[in-house]
Amino acid sequence: MDKDLRILVRNENVPPVIELDGELDAYTCGQLRDAMTAVIQDDSPTVIITMLKVQYMDSSGLGTLVAGLKRASERDGRVAVVCTNPQIRKVFEITGLVRVFPLYDSVEEAVRDIGR
Amino acid sequence: MVERTQVPEEYVLSNEVKWLRTENKRLFRVLRESMNKVAVGIVATYPPSECGIATFTKDVVTAIAKYTPFSSHIVVAVKREQEIEPYERIVRFQIPRDDRASYAAAAKFLNDSDTDIVSVQHEFGIFGGEDGAYVLDLIERLERPVAVTLHTVVSEPTPGQLRVMTGLAELADMLVVMVRTGRRILIDNYGIDAHKITIIQHGVPNVHRVSPMAVKRALGMADRHILSTFGLVNRGKGIEYAIEALPAIIKKHPEVIYLVLGETHPGVRSFEGESYRNALLETVNRLGLQNYVRFNNRFLALPELVRYLCATDVYITPYLNRDQIVSGTLAYALGCGKAIVSTPYLYAEEVLADGRGLVVDFRSPEALANAVNELLDNPAEREVMENLAYKYGRRTAWFNIAVDYLDLFRRLMLRHKRRAGMARQREDQVDVAT
Repeated sequence: MDKDLRILVRNENVPPVIELDGELDAYTCGQLRDAMTAVIQDDSPTVIITMLKVQYMDSSGLGTLVAGLKRASERDGRVAVVCTNPQIRKVFEITGLVRVFPLYDSVEEAVRDIGR
Repeated sequence: MVERTQVPEEYVLSNEVKWLRTENKRLFRVLRESMNKVAVGIVATYPPSECGIATFTKDVVTAIAKYTPFSSHIVVAVKREQEIEPYERIVRFQIPRDDRASYAAAAKFLNDSDTDIVSVQHEFGIFGGEDGAYVLDLIERLERPVAVTLHTVVSEPTPGQLRVMTGLAELADMLVVMVRTGRRILIDNYGIDAHKITIIQHGVPNVHRVSPMAVKRALGMADRHILSTFGLVNRGKGIEYAIEALPAIIKKHPEVIYLVLGETHPGVRSFEGESYRNALLETVNRLGLQNYVRFNNRFLALPELVRYLCATDVYITPYLNRDQIVSGTLAYALGCGKAIVSTPYLYAEEVLADGRGLVVDFRSPEALANAVNELLDNPAEREVMENLAYKYGRRTAWFNIAVDYLDLFRRLMLRHKRRAGMARQREDQVDVAT
């Protein structure tokens, strides 16, 4: 059985990029929580989460991003999200979290903006 | 493995926001100012009432609440006259089903509340009056946008049903159906404007794939092929045909066991007691199937239900009513990625198309047996079907369906606001002119 969520952390980027591949939901969000905590504590308070290969995200996924944002903001950092999947963008728009997490179409765009 | 049939809940958005209130007040304030608010008032039956719509209502409001931590949702619960239900706090008003005055009172209650939008869960039988006509008393008095989710769409309605349905279409801002067939029937047979109808599928629990064997072991059925049917038992389920199919299945697969999970529908029990279940038991005894059929005569909570579904090899809905436009149990089986054999009622025909299940004739034990045997004989075919079902069901996990509802509510609220603004403008113009 395939893993439900694969996570790749690219520390060489500034800011670091956490790549997600799979489904971000109640079953898998713990993995992202751990990855965000480690990156924000050890590498950089600002982080980019790429969801280009995420098929679904539920409210636990959003909750995990908010928890990550809490850690980042305590260190004056930010959390940006790269996402093109219309269903997932809709989740940010419906909740209004699009006003809290800047959404980008590509990592390059996010780096240009948030990495300044 | 078994634990994976229990959905973990701790990190949902609403919890994270709640924790921020004490842990990071600044971020809490940012979220409170930034996040959308939509307070939904739902009119429906609600647990502990035991019916499919009550379960649906709880599922949908729970899923919506997880995305809307700064909104308070309320339920106006419709109940039978004699029931005293120990409802949860979310139920703020009760309508005794046959008390007509309560429907107008409920509308006033909703108009006076902070509710932004009203969602009515409709099935003819849950409301009072002829064909549930009292619900119209409520909707026509509402000063909020209204979305009505239809759980039954009869293709050949009685005059009373037609009156109620066209009334709903006229009064509501949007009708929601769960399958395309429902939309087509409303347009063709009821003459309802296509723009007034939208499709949002039935939700399913968020279940990740698990090995059936691990769950079977936990249930003490490791050596059995499990067939199952669940839900509130009534004559419309056609369970007798599945039982009559068993001898032909057992002949090829003697390790089979058929689980009938769920209690008799309380509405049915009140007028005919357990006579249908007793008739099923007689059939089991007559055919000598005592070792092959198990009844679990109680209302199963979601985690237990999901566990049984995860252990199931073939799920069966042998239902008898061609017009059935939705089935929560079938939706759940799809969500768990099960191989399914069903009769061709409208909902099953649509959701099991394209290889997601096998559809057989109504009232045909022989056809049922052949289909189940085909699936048990061919594990590879079964696996393909399971994958297709899971993929289809995944899109309809409650967390996705909640987003679809919130999207609809937002659009209706915007439209309502625009119309109210235009009406105000017209009034102002009239004032100036006079």
